[in-house]
Amino acid sequence: MGKVIVCDGNEAAAWGVALARPDMVAVYPITPQSSLAEYISQFVADGIIKADLMDVEGEHSVLSVLQGAALAGARTFTASCGQGLAFMFEPYFRTPPLRLPIVMSIVTRDGITPQSVWGGQQDAMTVRETGWVHMHCENVQEVLDTVIMAFKIAEHRDVMLPVNVNHDGNYLSYGVEKVEVPDQEEVDVFLGEKNVNWHVALDPERPMGVDPLTGGAGGIGPSLFVKYRKGLCRGMQNALRVIEEVHREWGERFGRKWAPLVEEYRLDGADYAVVTIGSMSGAGKDAVDMARDEEGKRVGLIKMKTFRPFPRKALCEALSKVKAAGVVDRSVSFGWNSGPMYQEILSSMYFLSTPIPAISFIGGLAGADITVDHFRRVIDETQRVLEGGEVASEPIWLNEST
Amino acid sequence: MGKGYKTIAFYPQRCDGCQKCVEACSEFHAGSTDPVHSRIKVVEAGGAFGLALCRQCGEPQCVMNCPAGALEKDTETGVIKWDRDRCVNCHICTLACPYAGITYNVVSEEVMKCDFCEGDPACVKACPLGALELKRGAEIFNEWAELEDLVVPGISACLGCNSELVLRHTLRRVGSNVVVATPPGCMAGVGTVGVNGKTGVKAPVFHPLLTNTAAMLAGAKRYYKRIGRDVTMIAFGGDGGTADVGFQSLSGAAERGEQMIYICVDNEGYMNTGVQRSSTTPYGAWTSTTPVGTVLRGKSRDAKPMPLLMVMHNCEYVATASTAFMEDYYRKLEKAIEAARRGMAYIHVFSPCPTGWRFPPSKLIEVGRKAVQTNIVPLWEYENRVGRIRFTHPVENPLPVAEYLSLIGKFRHLDEEQIAHIQAQTQRKIEVLKKFTSEQTTTTLHHAA
Repeated sequence: MGKVIVCDGNEAAAWGVALARPDMVAVYPITPQSSLAEYISQFVADGIIKADLMDVEGEHSVLSVLQGAALAGARTFTASCGQGLAFMFEPYFRTPPLRLPIVMSIVTRDGITPQSVWGGQQDAMTVRETGWVHMHCENVQEVLDTVIMAFKIAEHRDVMLPVNVNHDGNYLSYGVEKVEVPDQEEVDVFLGEKNVNWHVALDPERPMGVDPLTGGAGGIGPSLFVKYRKGLCRGMQNALRVIEEVHREWGERFGRKWAPLVEEYRLDGADYAVVTIGSMSGAGKDAVDMARDEEGKRVGLIKMKTFRPFPRKALCEALSKVKAAGVVDRSVSFGWNSGPMYQEILSSMYFLSTPIPAISFIGGLAGADITVDHFRRVIDETQRVLEGGEVASEPIWLNEST
Repeated sequence: MGKGYKTIAFYPQRCDGCQKCVEACSEFHAGSTDPVHSRIKVVEAGGAFGLALCRQCGEPQCVMNCPAGALEKDTETGVIKWDRDRCVNCHICTLACPYAGITYNVVSEEVMKCDFCEGDPACVKACPLGALELKRGAEIFNEWAELEDLVVPGISACLGCNSELVLRHTLRRVGSNVVVATPPGCMAGVGTVGVNGKTGVKAPVFHPLLTNTAAMLAGAKRYYKRIGRDVTMIAFGGDGGTADVGFQSLSGAAERGEQMIYICVDNEGYMNTGVQRSSTTPYGAWTSTTPVGTVLRGKSRDAKPMPLLMVMHNCEYVATASTAFMEDYYRKLEKAIEAARRGMAYIHVFSPCPTGWRFPPSKLIEVGRKAVQTNIVPLWEYENRVGRIRFTHPVENPLPVAEYLSLIGKFRHLDEEQIAHIQAQTQRKIEVLKKFTSEQTTTTLHHAA
């Protein structure tokens, strides 16, 4: 048994980092990630984390020093969000094709402009198509546990990809809960020996040219390029299996069984479902409980934990149990005039024998709370569609009126 | 493999024709100051003095033409020795030598030539004006020829590419216990990291982004230090990846004192992408984005003073260098390797580009030399421990900048006003640098910062 403490999500992430024993942590502060960087710095100062702490001059260099260290063989961690993630983007979208198993928390934050320093998943959703694994946490304990699991997933030989562990700015970064911190020895056994650069290295003992020019109009270049691209896609698909395996093992060792890809909540006997992601899921579950237990509404909830790689099979399995869905996003897909998760759920329905009606809800932008009352509305609107009501072509903005 | 030897160098601009060398030579070899015995002759021609002296040639005509085998090059010292016992006094050697380096002595009635006075030439010691100097030729060759060239043959650099010279020489000296970073630009473009799965360097080498070279090397270095391995980090950045878009990463790494050798190969623009302007493109220069037309006359701003900015970052070592002064560059590399054990060593290598600057590849070294001789490119170094700048090749009487500019096509359009601006700027730059040669100035500036 580990020790039980009371802390917020940023501190929980820092404890997860400490237990994973990284060689290098690089940080640059940004709200609402800053206290995570501070906790890690203090842990290094106190000898709890024995990593090389690199407080560099910006997020672009944060990820760059980690790439250099990973190529030399280091286990690495960082955290960022919002504009920091935007500034980091150049090395960020190069990390997956380099197959570097770097772990990074995104303490999600809405995008500017309008200028905003509050939570929202616009940052994580905007970078979803880069080849990073994305997992979204629901509560503080899940943040701690998932940060540790992320290293095992990232460094799995069938994966070798960077992992983002996302937790909602404000609600999880500063929200305080009781959490259990596992024992170091048990985490050591769980994670095992690291080997992060067996496949690509900058090492005079194993000299190689890392990332030669690849491509061109003819010759072997273009097919070589395809080989690398397919390899990345294969790593992502392997990750679906590995995420499940690692969550299963975590549950067996530590007793906490988190849904790895998609959580089905009270879908038995449900006619329709609310789909959630991240910390809003708690309020969503409360609303579902009340609707079912007090009002007799046949509603359940589907929570997406893993958003990249997209767990199409697991999602379709859940969706196949209901006849309508209300999808609540905490970010905007400007191109589709809907939430991005909603859009991807529509895509998944191609693989269902019968597509079901679904509505896009967007809420919780720029720090706004998504309350049980908001979910009541989601449930009512989804029920209306279930009963044959028209599906609006526009999303429903939950925080539109104050 | 051959060898480089000592030679007597002559600086005609210092010679006033006093004949003291001639007297010293006669004295040493014949115990008399009579010039008839001197192996060295100073002759006046067209208002200047020239030297008639044995060059101790690598392929000596005297030796090749001697029918008696009386002349022979000593492979240890390089001196061409004359053997009185074998000489048949035919004088063919005096005709074969193009330098009048072996002559007939009418008193002794035999030929005579310079023998280096047992390694310590009397003429050199006797010259009061320093016009003669005993120099070691091809020192670099003697010292480094046996080291492996870590760059594969046949990389795709342009004809006369200076960057290739920098790359090959530098890696030869630094060795293979390295991690080599070549960000996008000419260094990567020539194929250092290779193409389609094949590498161009026999050492760990990679493409950083154009923007993060120093940061990536810093990360790798920190991990090697953590696991107790001594590996040298070296970057070959172009001026764009150094002074423009990569500047933040470099500045941050310099401030943190990250241990690496960072070499900026400054060819004054984005040569690999088609000759566009960078912040180190000099005033007046034509580039494809500072074109010359009826309104625009090349770049309107002066170059960013990159090496001085690195001095202000309090780096362990900062130097400017030129491949036209290779021994100077090797000495600086040596210091950089040592300094990189403590922090950042930054070398800014002036790198003329025949393709992008519009001059014939055969003129590469001449352009580099003229740049130094005009003070366009002053050669200096800054050692943090010493605390000030030192000129490593001071040019007291610089040539007019026009002598440099006229060699290069990108300056062809310059009018008198623009040339005057460059001349004035060059002078100002030297004056600023001279201020940093005082320890007080540099220390004060650092404290003020």
